[in-house]
Amino acid sequence: MAWHDYKKKIKRQFSEFLEIPGDVMLDLPKIVLFGNIKIFIENHRGIIEYTTEKVRVNVMEDEVAITGENLLLRNVLPDELCVEGKIKSISFL
Amino acid sequence: MFLFKLMSYLQGYLLILVTGSAPEKFVNMSAGRGIYLWDITRVSDSAVVMKVHLRAVKPLRHIARRTSCRFRIKRRVGFPFYLAWLKQRKSLALGAVFFVGALYFLSSFVWFIEVRGNDRLGVNEVLQAAAEAGLSRGTPKWRVDPGRVEANIGEKLPLVSWTGVYIKGAKATIEVAERTVPGEEDRRPANIIAKKSGLIKEILVLNGHPVVKEGDTVSQGQVLVAGAIPPPEEPLPPGGVKKPGEKPKPVQPARLVHASAIARARVWYEGYGESAVIETGRRLSGRSETRVSMKFYGKEIILAGSQNIPYELYEANTLVKRVPEWRNLNIPVELITVKYYELVDYKEDHGRAGARGIAWERALADAGSKMPPGARIQEQWMEDVSTGPEENVVRVKAVIETVEDIGEEEIINP
Repeated sequence: MAWHDYKKKIKRQFSEFLEIPGDVMLDLPKIVLFGNIKIFIENHRGIIEYTTEKVRVNVMEDEVAITGENLLLRNVLPDELCVEGKIKSISFL
Repeated sequence: MFLFKLMSYLQGYLLILVTGSAPEKFVNMSAGRGIYLWDITRVSDSAVVMKVHLRAVKPLRHIARRTSCRFRIKRRVGFPFYLAWLKQRKSLALGAVFFVGALYFLSSFVWFIEVRGNDRLGVNEVLQAAAEAGLSRGTPKWRVDPGRVEANIGEKLPLVSWTGVYIKGAKATIEVAERTVPGEEDRRPANIIAKKSGLIKEILVLNGHPVVKEGDTVSQGQVLVAGAIPPPEEPLPPGGVKKPGEKPKPVQPARLVHASAIARARVWYEGYGESAVIETGRRLSGRSETRVSMKFYGKEIILAGSQNIPYELYEANTLVKRVPEWRNLNIPVELITVKYYELVDYKEDHGRAGARGIAWERALADAGSKMPPGARIQEQWMEDVSTGPEENVVRVKAVIETVEDIGEEEIINP
């Protein structure tokens, strides 16, 4: 685990030094929110849970939880995801 | 998005119902294997509905087995399914193809022929000439040679100076331009008489014997130029005096011609107009109201507009529409549209001068209405008509002087 943290630290420092965006270098998710009706997640690692009230998506080490009403997965691609509905909250677990 | 929907429709897609403990896994695995899923909606705790392309369904079976899910096709959408449905209804498909084919086939004939530009020439003559050259109703379009038809019409009908034949769709248009042929000259002996009274201003005799001179006053019906030309008087022999007892020469009869002349004369037209100094009356106020009602067995039902007419004074314009009678069927329904125009009383004081102006306008219009359309106005003036004591009405007479050709042909009866 220590080795993993060390590698991550190096990577971050490197990207900061070269001013490379984090989502490219560090494999971070890119989340775009359109008002409260649509959310767009790039670079995800799969869906963990999907109901009309809650969507949980795996991103790298974290997990993004979206809560709302009448949620539906507009499209699912290997690294891209679009959720539509009435979004209430987004949180990292 | 529209393009995507169109492509999906053309390729065909399925609405599948996935049931199982973890449909998320199913979605993840499909996405991982490059199967595109969209519009994923949860319908119950254990069921999810999603859309998938037709060609991606087969690999889904393995995925379903490995994620211990089951999927069932709910609905098939798209062109391939429509095609399959059509395959079962061969006669319908055949009918559609036949319809299109028949439409195409029938549109390759000339069904309508329109003749344009003919004035004196009959339509049938043109159509007959066209038919001789191979353009008639029901002829296939590829057999019609517009050039040949044009040439034939030009040849057969000497009255036509130019022809154009165009085919557009199932309609052929024959456009003709007619030649103006000089009419037969009238050679019957005739006089030129005055159409109306006037003062001859100028007279130009083309043929005939002038009877009146410039400056003469002529009355209606008077002969201006005679068709009978008297024989020239024979001059007396030089220095000779008419000997008494000499035989008079036989009188040659007058030569009769068809007289023609332009006889311009000054003609006067009079018109009378009057106008009240203080004018009272009723006129439209410009406001109007429409009431639409329906009459059914003598009962009138108002559909639109107010029940009672909002104007005190009005003028009504009624329009009744009813279903035309057919055989002994009589539908007792009438649609009645009444338009009410409001009238208002008015009282206007024009003043003496204003009333005179109005009367003058009216008198001029009255005089003008008696004038022939081509007459040129030379002069116009006004004369007051006095009726004794001062009264509310101004009376005016307008006189218009014009110069016009007053000549008219009159056949001489032999």
